[in-house]
Amino acid sequence: MTADPLPLPEPAAAADGPPPVILLRGVTKVYRMGLEEVRALDGVDLRIDPNEFVAIMGPSGSGKSTLMNILGLLDVPTGGRYWLAGRDVARLSQSEQARERGRRIGFVFQTFELLPRQTALQNVELPLIYSGVRDRRARAAEALRQVGLADRMTHRPNQMSGGQRQRVAIARALVQEPALILADEPTGNLDTRTSEEILDLFDDLHDRGQTIVLVTHEPDIAARCRRVVRLRDGRVESDGPGGLSEDRETISC
Amino acid sequence: MLILANVRGALEQVWANRLRSVLTVLGIVIAVTSTITVVSVVQGFTGYVSDFLQGLGTNAMWIWPERPGGEAGKRLGRVTLDLKDVQALQAECSTLRSLSPLIPRPSATVSMGRTEVTTQLEGVSAEYHTIRNLPVEVGRPFTFLDIERRHPVCVLGREVLRKLERGDDIVGRTLLVDGRRFRVVGILAEKGSVLGNSQDDLVLIPYTMALTMYPSTRTTIALAAQALDEAQVPEAKAQVVSILRRRHRLDAYQPNDFQIRTQDEILTAFNSISIVATAVLAGIVGISLLVGGIGIMNVMLVSVTERTREIGLRKAVGARRRDIMLQFLTEAVCLSLLGGGLGVGLGYGITAIVSLHPQMVDVAVPAWAVLLGFGISAGTGVAFGILPALKAALLNPIDALRHE
Ligand SMILES: Nc1ncnc2c1ncn2[C@@H]1O[C@H](COP(=O)(O)OP(=O)(O)OP(=O)(O)O)[C@@H](O)[C@H]1O
Ligand SMILES: [Mg+2]
Repeated sequence: MTADPLPLPEPAAAADGPPPVILLRGVTKVYRMGLEEVRALDGVDLRIDPNEFVAIMGPSGSGKSTLMNILGLLDVPTGGRYWLAGRDVARLSQSEQARERGRRIGFVFQTFELLPRQTALQNVELPLIYSGVRDRRARAAEALRQVGLADRMTHRPNQMSGGQRQRVAIARALVQEPALILADEPTGNLDTRTSEEILDLFDDLHDRGQTIVLVTHEPDIAARCRRVVRLRDGRVESDGPGGLSEDRETISC
Repeated sequence: MLILANVRGALEQVWANRLRSVLTVLGIVIAVTSTITVVSVVQGFTGYVSDFLQGLGTNAMWIWPERPGGEAGKRLGRVTLDLKDVQALQAECSTLRSLSPLIPRPSATVSMGRTEVTTQLEGVSAEYHTIRNLPVEVGRPFTFLDIERRHPVCVLGREVLRKLERGDDIVGRTLLVDGRRFRVVGILAEKGSVLGNSQDDLVLIPYTMALTMYPSTRTTIALAAQALDEAQVPEAKAQVVSILRRRHRLDAYQPNDFQIRTQDEILTAFNSISIVATAVLAGIVGISLLVGGIGIMNVMLVSVTERTREIGLRKAVGARRRDIMLQFLTEAVCLSLLGGGLGVGLGYGITAIVSLHPQMVDVAVPAWAVLLGFGISAGTGVAFGILPALKAALLNPIDALRHE
């Protein structure tokens, strides 16, 4: 299940198999600060197939979050093309973007981002409200069950531990059955043991067929992933299997 | 679905910041309270006054001598209205059904035994009962003969009876009116009071008798008249004016040396008071809505800033701009409707308290005023909620999520 070496053909050419979940071609993101230009992404090509579990690594400022934002349709690239599940999404209108984002992407944030006054169940229901789904309650409850929080449905975030909160957030990401889960440093705010639990949960989801991309600074977390994409200065520096870690300086465990 | 979720979320938000919410909507509370109160009171008075004017008699008008103001008035000779004028009007006014001289004395003493009371006196003719809609309840009204022959008879209002501490058996007895003996022939039906003035504190005597008792009134007779029907009122008025002007030998450039008022004109005069009250109300409402609206806008802007991350998150899970817009507009409207609700409640309370006053007219809050109150508060919520809602909707999701 490793990615083909780049470059890839247009997605239409790969019509025989399922389309890749993600296909990026020469994606750039340039921030203009006055006269200065910051090239946060500088020609990124990336293909992620269904049921891959990809870690994105790289030093601070290398463009990991920028890439995740573009993958998650929270941001539009300055240049290049992006196919999400076979659909060209590089230049969507605002509301189209929001719809695709709601349907196909599940976000997990470092800071959980739960609504404090709502119960776990209500938090998980939130994406379903915007996509107009009928049996919201049942689906939200099912997602919470999947992350092992069947007994915490009516708890509010401040009545739960950090790990539980992140589980609620993962349930919220899962509830729409998205093509892709994007997690930007999901364990950044958790202790080691809780982090392990969350990663086990991701592994679990992956085993059930979920496609996951996660950003991490921790080499041992990356090591659990089948594939590690390293960014440096907005470019893909290396892209290969994790775990085996034929790796350089960064790994020291 | 989304609407329901929005309303629930908005109510939660309002409830979570209840003190802030209540303080914010004070302006709207004031606006709606004053709308409800003023509208109800003005309506109450208008209804009351038109009832009262109806009670004065249908298609009635009043005529009395009066020196007009200004230079032109000073140059007129004696300003009079005497019996000859009355006879001329009676003979020539084809559009008048009936006419009665009216000799008003604001204060006359009535005494019976050792009790002596002060009341109003009116010297009138037999027609006066119908013109003024003053039916006799006990005994009999004046007859033509009473007037013609100057009989010393009187008809009393109920309030005079109360003051004299007498019952219906007073009919047929004699009493003294300004020192002269009168026989009581009838008692008027009760009319109630207007703005605290009893309409039943009244003694009627034949005008012929009044002219004898108060000789100075012979040249200053007032008149009450009744037109044939409603459509004839303006014509009747014109006839009276032209007859009196001719009789008083007024030239075209000279103003009338008398006044003539129809019921309609009195109602119009009162309506112009209600218009002033309504204008003042509109001013108060406008200013407090502006203040309330700005308050709502301010608090919503604060709320948007406080909840920037929430907005970012909502966008990340699929909320479109219009969803966010709607969410915050709903919240602004809920907030302002809270103000509207409090205002309506307070308005009801104040009207209830106001109508506790014994001399207050009947005041009821009209349903349309309640609707208006809710309408203007919802409108304010929308108008002043748009800017914050737009601000929220246009937030960039990434910046919003990164917001501290
Ligand atoms: N909104 C922005 N305006 C200007 N420059 C930006 C903006 N967002 C990111 N950048 C720049 O783009 C580059 C990449 O930023 P990004 O947040 O993607 O880094 P990162 O790899 O996620 O770093 P970290 O590991 O610290 O989270 C940085 O140089 C950053 O300064
Ligand atoms: Mg980052």
